[in-house]
Amino acid sequence: MLLSRIAESLYWMSRYLERVDSTARLVEINLLHLLEAESAIGEAAEWRPLLAICGKEALYTGTFGSAEITGPRVIQFLMGERSNPGSVRNSMRLARENARAVRDRISREMWECVNELWLRYQELLARPPIPERAVAHCRTLRSEVARFHGHTSSTMMRGEAFGFYLLGMFLERADMTARIMDVKYHLLLPDLALVGSPLDYYQWAALLRSLSGYEAFRRRFPSLRPLDVADFVVLDGDFPRSLRFAVDRMAQALARVGSARADSPSARAVSELSELLAKSDGSALFEAGLHEFLQRFLAGISDLHGALQREYFEAHLGDAACTT
Amino acid sequence: MATALAAPPSFGAAAYHEFYRDDFEPRAHYRPLWEHIRKAGQALLSDKVREAHLTLHTEGVTFTVYANSDEGIERVWPFDLLPRIITASEWAPIEAGLAQRVRALNRFLEDVYGEQRILRDGVVPAELVYGGRDYRREIRGIRPPLGIYIHISGIDVVRGADGGYLVLEDNLRTPSGVSYMIENRIVERRTLPEFFARYRVRRVEHYPALLLQALRELSPRGGQDAVVVLLTPGVYNSAYFEHTFLAHEMGIELAEGRDLVVQNDVVYLKTTHGLQRVDVLYRRIDDDYLDPLCFRPDSTLGVAGIINAWRAGNVAIVNAPGTGIADDKAVYPYVPDIIRYYLGEAPVLRNVPTWRMTVSDERERVLGDLENVVVKAVSESGGYGILIGPQSTAAQRAEFAAQVRANPRNYIAQPVIPLSRHLCYLDGELESRHIDLRPFVIQGREIHVVPGGLTRVALTKGSLVVNSSQGGGSKDTWVLSDAALADR
Repeated sequence: MLLSRIAESLYWMSRYLERVDSTARLVEINLLHLLEAESAIGEAAEWRPLLAICGKEALYTGTFGSAEITGPRVIQFLMGERSNPGSVRNSMRLARENARAVRDRISREMWECVNELWLRYQELLARPPIPERAVAHCRTLRSEVARFHGHTSSTMMRGEAFGFYLLGMFLERADMTARIMDVKYHLLLPDLALVGSPLDYYQWAALLRSLSGYEAFRRRFPSLRPLDVADFVVLDGDFPRSLRFAVDRMAQALARVGSARADSPSARAVSELSELLAKSDGSALFEAGLHEFLQRFLAGISDLHGALQREYFEAHLGDAACTT
Repeated sequence: MATALAAPPSFGAAAYHEFYRDDFEPRAHYRPLWEHIRKAGQALLSDKVREAHLTLHTEGVTFTVYANSDEGIERVWPFDLLPRIITASEWAPIEAGLAQRVRALNRFLEDVYGEQRILRDGVVPAELVYGGRDYRREIRGIRPPLGIYIHISGIDVVRGADGGYLVLEDNLRTPSGVSYMIENRIVERRTLPEFFARYRVRRVEHYPALLLQALRELSPRGGQDAVVVLLTPGVYNSAYFEHTFLAHEMGIELAEGRDLVVQNDVVYLKTTHGLQRVDVLYRRIDDDYLDPLCFRPDSTLGVAGIINAWRAGNVAIVNAPGTGIADDKAVYPYVPDIIRYYLGEAPVLRNVPTWRMTVSDERERVLGDLENVVVKAVSESGGYGILIGPQSTAAQRAEFAAQVRANPRNYIAQPVIPLSRHLCYLDGELESRHIDLRPFVIQGREIHVVPGGLTRVALTKGSLVVNSSQGGGSKDTWVLSDAALADR
């Protein structure tokens, strides 16, 4: 038996931590990439894609008005901005609040990790960023989140609660990977006719690095072809940040959680995502249009979140509510 | 109950010493301990103290002190290494007296929420009961499962100047401290295994098992499949550590009010697999906050409709609503009469003499002598709302006098009891400090008095205030099974 409130807090705790990790990774890789770039495309063009990936262009405009898009502003907005609910700082805070609510359900090590993360970095992130230091900060934040997952893996019972921890993490990860692909691909490959040709090596490497997938990709594919990158990031079942990997893990997590209903809406939502992936291979993705595919995938992720909400977190409101 | 005011006590000298006889030799049952300490030497003791504190720290045995900030301050539980030892012959009357007291007070509650014979017979004034903040007229006529109101009590016992045990307070609502009793034992056994070998100490760690059994017995659907839930006000409550501790030990769900819902007079838990019926609710929130439909409408901690579910017999609530009238300090002076009335027995344990502020000549004599008495607000606990005359300022006394006159029902007064003293190992020195004792009593089909309890220590020299919220410490409490070690 698991209280809905506890399940929901576990789910959000790991979603927010995943968001800390992926946002820090985006900022870090963009900074590194800009250091290496040989020709400048203009500051606004360099940083706007990050806002697009996080779905925060409108909010950014609301915060900074018509002021130009600059690196320091975007970093500030994504890392420390109080008015941005998805900022790293707010995600850390919300992860901690959810962890506190389930403190008696998680190990001491897990709690201490989340607690320290907030206590150590909240002030730093509230200050205007120093771009030269931001890379180091992002790296530290990511390793703190990794430490949390390490403790979780070695201290948490593999029960229903663990299932919700996994669901939160992989749902957020799949969502972010799909967004990164959608935005970057569009930018890097303006003309689909170029799909099979080698393109800017550094740009593509940066995309893979923002998913921690560069080295693994190089082992698997001889050259950086867009087709292969899409195949790897979307469909490779061994790559931990691929869409298929996340969907497989969510299916396993749901099996662990179980369902009170014969026709579980959450299980249905996950199998729809699986089918979407099964129907695709690298070249099929391009024939139907990668953008359309990713939009369908993101809609499926959103459906899954809604289904979890209805089926588990608000189970008492449902029709199958009374099991006595 | 009118008692002559005692001469101003001088603490220390007047207080009974648990460890030393009057000739400064250790009492017989402390001698093996004493010899061990002498042989061990200070360095070893200091190592042991460090070890014990480290254990408590890493295990996160903490309590929360309410502060101005939203979050409160978490402190590590203050633990003194030297155990308090109670011989088998000393324990026997405590055990009998507490069981008798719980039995009689339970009868009292059945009566005041039922026929009210004791009020009609004039043994306890009716206006005292009706005027009590914690008398719940809403629940009159409801019979709780097995007729039990007081399932769990933590009755404070002190030792007067003559070494006799006295009941200081009956805590019958949601007394806390039992987790610390158990943690103290775990730490003590780990730290001083060699001492345990010399004494045969009765065990206390089965408390959660006893409690779970008593809770299951109350289930309206039978004990086997009973779903038992601990209801906590949440993480900011000072006893939250204890709530998580007990829920873990009993393997029951720890829920907040928002995790529960009442439908058709049945209480349910909101789980990931739908609603799960609750049979027994061990609540650690006060009556006031329990049911916004019945008591305080602004409560967000409780569960709307839970009193109706209880009235319908679909859920047991532990302790039952309404027990607060039986540990109301204004009712306390009548407890010996309550015992005689219902049980036809003489009280085994004495009360502390108490002046009733509702009786005008008792009140006037107290107000004329505030420097030498303790005044307590009847519905406060945790060391709040208390005036200790000899340690008070003229301004505090004037303030209390005004409050007593304005609302006499709300206060009682007692002589200053020089709480017994014990040896403590503080900052590398052996020092004497005042202590009390909170044993825990569980009432199911039978009454169990757990052999031991929480010994609280006033860590400040000369202080009589032992509450952890006011800087108190604690000791492991050993009740000996061996009758051979006689006292005195």
